[in-house]
This record gives sequence, C-alpha cells and structure tokens, in this order.
Amino acid sequence: MKVSIIGSGNVGVATALFLVEKRVSNVVLIDIVEGWAEGKSLDIVQASPIRRYDVSVSGYSDISMIKDSNVVVVTAGKPRLPGMSREDLLRDNVKIMKSVSESIAEYAPNAVLITVTNPLDILAYVALKVTGFALKRVIGMAGILDSSRFRYFIADELGVSPGNVTALVLGGHGDLMVPLPRYSTVHGIPVSELLPRATIDKLIERTRKAGGEIVSYLKTGSAYWSPGSSAAEMVECIIRNRNRIIPCSAYLRGEYGIDGLFAGVPIVIGRNGVEKIIELSLTTEEKQALHLSADKVREVIEKIESENMI
Amino acid sequence: MEKVSIIGSGNVGVAAAFYLAEKGVANIMLIDIIEGKAEGSALDLSEASPLRGYDIKIRGSSHIESIKDSKVVVITVGKVRKPNTLRLELLEDNVKIIDPIIEDIKNYAPNSIVVVLTEPVTSLTYYTLKKTGFDRTKVIGVAGKLDVTRVCECTAQELGVSPVEVSALVLGGHHKFMVIPPEFIRVCGIPITELLPKGKIDKIISEAREAGTTILSLLKKQTSMYSPGAAIAETITAIINDTRAIFCLPTYLDGEYGFKNICLGVPVQLGKNGVEKIIELELSLPIREELQASADVINKTIESLGI
Repeated sequence: MKVSIIGSGNVGVATALFLVEKRVSNVVLIDIVEGWAEGKSLDIVQASPIRRYDVSVSGYSDISMIKDSNVVVVTAGKPRLPGMSREDLLRDNVKIMKSVSESIAEYAPNAVLITVTNPLDILAYVALKVTGFALKRVIGMAGILDSSRFRYFIADELGVSPGNVTALVLGGHGDLMVPLPRYSTVHGIPVSELLPRATIDKLIERTRKAGGEIVSYLKTGSAYWSPGSSAAEMVECIIRNRNRIIPCSAYLRGEYGIDGLFAGVPIVIGRNGVEKIIELSLTTEEKQALHLSADKVREVIEKIESENMI
Repeated sequence: MEKVSIIGSGNVGVAAAFYLAEKGVANIMLIDIIEGKAEGSALDLSEASPLRGYDIKIRGSSHIESIKDSKVVVITVGKVRKPNTLRLELLEDNVKIIDPIIEDIKNYAPNSIVVVLTEPVTSLTYYTLKKTGFDRTKVIGVAGKLDVTRVCECTAQELGVSPVEVSALVLGGHHKFMVIPPEFIRVCGIPITELLPKGKIDKIISEAREAGTTILSLLKKQTSMYSPGAAIAETITAIINDTRAIFCLPTYLDGEYGFKNICLGVPVQLGKNGVEKIIELELSLPIREELQASADVINKTIESLGI
C-alpha cells in the first residue's frame, strides 16, 4: 500500500510519523520546496532502527511520485501570515488545491483523497470538483480533530482516561462547529450525567477555540500533532478497511437537509472512503446550527464559482 | 517495573500474561500448582520476546510464595464449566480451591490488589474480599469487562462497523444474571437505539449473554480464553498505569445503587489504588428491577457461603 502526503510541513510530517509508527503503509512525502520532503523523510527513516518500523518513507519535490497511491493526503497550503486577509489566503489556497488536485487526478486517479488544508470544507469542495472523483473518494479532515479535542477536554475535566471518551462534533471546522454533547459519552455514559451543564458549555467553548489557544501559545506556529494524528487515523481506516464511525467533512446530497456541499457529519470510513453517511435525528436547534455553518460555506463556494477560481 | 502475579497457568492465565507482555505493562509471575506448567509457559512466552520486542520479565513457579511483593494478584484457578452447566454450580468446589490461595495472598502479598476470575465470579469476589479482610477498593472481579467486550463485538458485527467504536455497560451478575441497559450501548457516542430496531438490539443482548456458553459448546472441552485474558490484561493495565479508565466490574457496594454488603457489577474507575471511584448512574425503572433480581440471586449465593 502507498500513501502520499502532499505538503511536508509540520502537519504532513506528523501524519507520516503516525502512519509509520503504526506500520500502516509506505509513505511518500511531497513538498514544492526542493529538498524539504527528502530531508524530512530521511530524518524519519533514520529513526526506524530505534522505533522498529520497516515501511518505506521517501520524499520528493516531483509530484508525479504520488503515482498509484491508494490514499493521498493534501496538507499543502499557505498559513495565514500577519497582514494577510482571509480573502487573500482563500485565493492562494484555492489556487494551490486546484493545481494539486489536477496532479492527483493525473497520477493517482484511483486514490481516496483526504484534504486537510483550510478553509477545510471549501477546499474539499475544490478538490472534489477539480479531480472529478466519485463523491465518496474525497473526505475532509475536521470533525475527528475537533472531536478529539473535545474528548480530551472532557477526560481532563473528569480525570478519566481519554480513550474512554467519545464525542461528536459536526458542522464546519471553525467557530461554527456544532458539538453534540448528548452524543458525548464516557464509556457509554452520557457526559451530561457526569458533568454540570455549565462545565460542558465551558468545554465546548474551549473546543471551538482550541486551535487558536495553541497558536496563542506557540505564536509562530500552530497545532500539528493532533491534526497529524487525525489525518493518520483516517488513512488507517481506509488502508485497513476499518469501517470506523468518525465525524468527517463529506459531500452531502440532501442528507441533513444540505445539498451539494461538504459538511462535518458522522461517516463510516473504510476502503472506499465514505462507506456510509450516518444521519442522526438532530434537534431543531442543532439542525439550525449545522445549517448556519453550511450557509457560510455556501457563500464562499458561490464566490469562488462566480469568480471562476476553479 | 511493577510485578503482577497470575495464579493458575491455564489457558486464561497464560493468555492474560501474553497480552500483558505484548503491551509491556509489568513483570509477570505465573503460578501453577502443577510443577513445571507455569515455568514452561513462562519460558515459551519469554522466547517469543526477541521477535515481539518485549523485554519485561516473565517467570513461572509452582511455589506460591513467589507472588511476594506483587502489585496485582490475579486468581484464575478453579474448575470451569462443562457444557449445559451453570457457573453457580461450581461454587462449592471452587471455594475449596481458592481458600488456601486467599491465605497465601494475605501472607505473601498483603498490599496487593486482587483480581478474581474464578467462577461464580461475582460471589467469589465477595468471598475473597471478606476472607482477605482487604480494603474494598483492593478486591475486584473481572466479569463485566468481558461481558462488555462481548456486547461491543456483537453490536459491531450487527452494524458492520469497527468494534473499537462501540461502548456498553454491563451491570449486576455474570451470564444469565447480567443486566445490559440498551440505552448505554453506544457507537461513537450514538445510542444504538437510534441505529437499530428493538428486535435487533434484543438479539445482540441475548447473544452477548450467551457468548461464553456459545464458545464452550463449540469447543466442548475448553472455555474461552482470549477475551477473558484480554479483559484481565486491560484491567491490570488500568491499575498499573493508573489510567483511571472506566470498567464494569464486580465490586463491593456500601450503599451505592441502594445495595449494601454485596459485590455487584457496576461501572468503576480503576487506578493505582484499585477502585478509585464507583460511578453511580441514573437507571431506568426496568433496569433497576433487573439489577435487583440479579442482586437477589447473588445474595442467596453469598448466604450459602456462610461468611
């Protein structure tokens, strides 16, 4: 099996590391900066005698090396630099995703594609449109990360093992994410039985701002271990056909009353990508929150399409 | 590295040792009354270590004093069921078997946490607690963890999803007397009641209830070993690594859930001191009634023990 990671920044490299530690597949790192992916991959393989993995890791600046990958992960994109508007960032990253997607369609036409670059739900759409892949073969990484953060905060608050906690965070990846505390459990026990409402609200708020909290500490960087582990987990589900239920950004065609957009929903993820979209019965309030988040995505998509960015 | 002793080196004891070794949790002392049996299995496991990359010490002994200084002692000895028998029928024989072992644990590992697997496990957890005189946080049974894992597996099979995604709670006794509240069976946090019709859920519950019996009737001469071994290893891992993970286990209740002076399966948090916390849940009326019925059976068994 072969997994290619396009964009060898911190998130891409962390994804590679988690994959090789679990011996999920051979990994190809790609980066546009010559030498960068090569250097990173050498660093990883030179730890292999100590960490005992024997999958291959290689790095290239030539994107055609993704040839025949089973899974392609796209982390490439510009970070938002000081003085840069969201608008500029969007324009740049749409351009990057478009060009990368064209290469994926050419060299790895049978791959399942996982997009990680932000704005997540929008760039997943760009990737789907440009590659022309079947709907189930393009998935955005978002809900798994937001859920993982929510799970950790719940575990930390209760002093229980994080592995005991489940959580579902739906909707877009950003301020408008929709955490569903009634589906969050500790060993199956609803978290509402274990924590007062005010505490849960506090943890939800922290989850919404979790990415920003880390940026505010690091100042010159952002989170990459938790995003990397999230992407690697999705890759593993595909390569090993694990059929796990994970909240991911998937292209919806009427599910949850949303049509023609990517939004974070629980899916069964396996060999073919999105094996199934699970429709939960949401309350009116939850539905509204999900739609509000989808409306924002739709606005941007309409702008991109009207300006012929893709 | 902490030391864990497993008394009884039958299939379940050795499977538990294997899982502990694979995860590198603790040094392991296997004990068996039959000379050479524990030593042989310990050597076999040790000789796989270069391949599997574990470097904990695995030793075997027929001398029970080798359990000295253990952090955790597991009791897996005792007669096992034959097809078409109930676990309760093993009570009299198994009390006789574990009686001297309990004395030895008191003598050689007085500060250990004791994990009981001998059937009927809920009643014998109570018996062991009373006989050792240990603190109630230090003596637990293993039933619930195993039953939970079976519910999860049956649910995952039915839904065609990964078993790691499923969580469940099993309360009360073991086998026929276990209580499985459907509202606590969840898949990635989603209540199973949203994913499957009632008939399917009932089927899962009855399959899980009979899971051990199904394996026994297939193997005929042997009971299941991997799932009980894995359940023991997980339980021990939570204690040694102080993970505070939640397990459903027979534990002594002193007013929790309205029960006193009984061991009953309830959710607990495990950590370095054994039972760190008993988690009390709001239960629906039918589930409370089922739990009461389960407790009545266990109370009767406990009375027959005369302690």
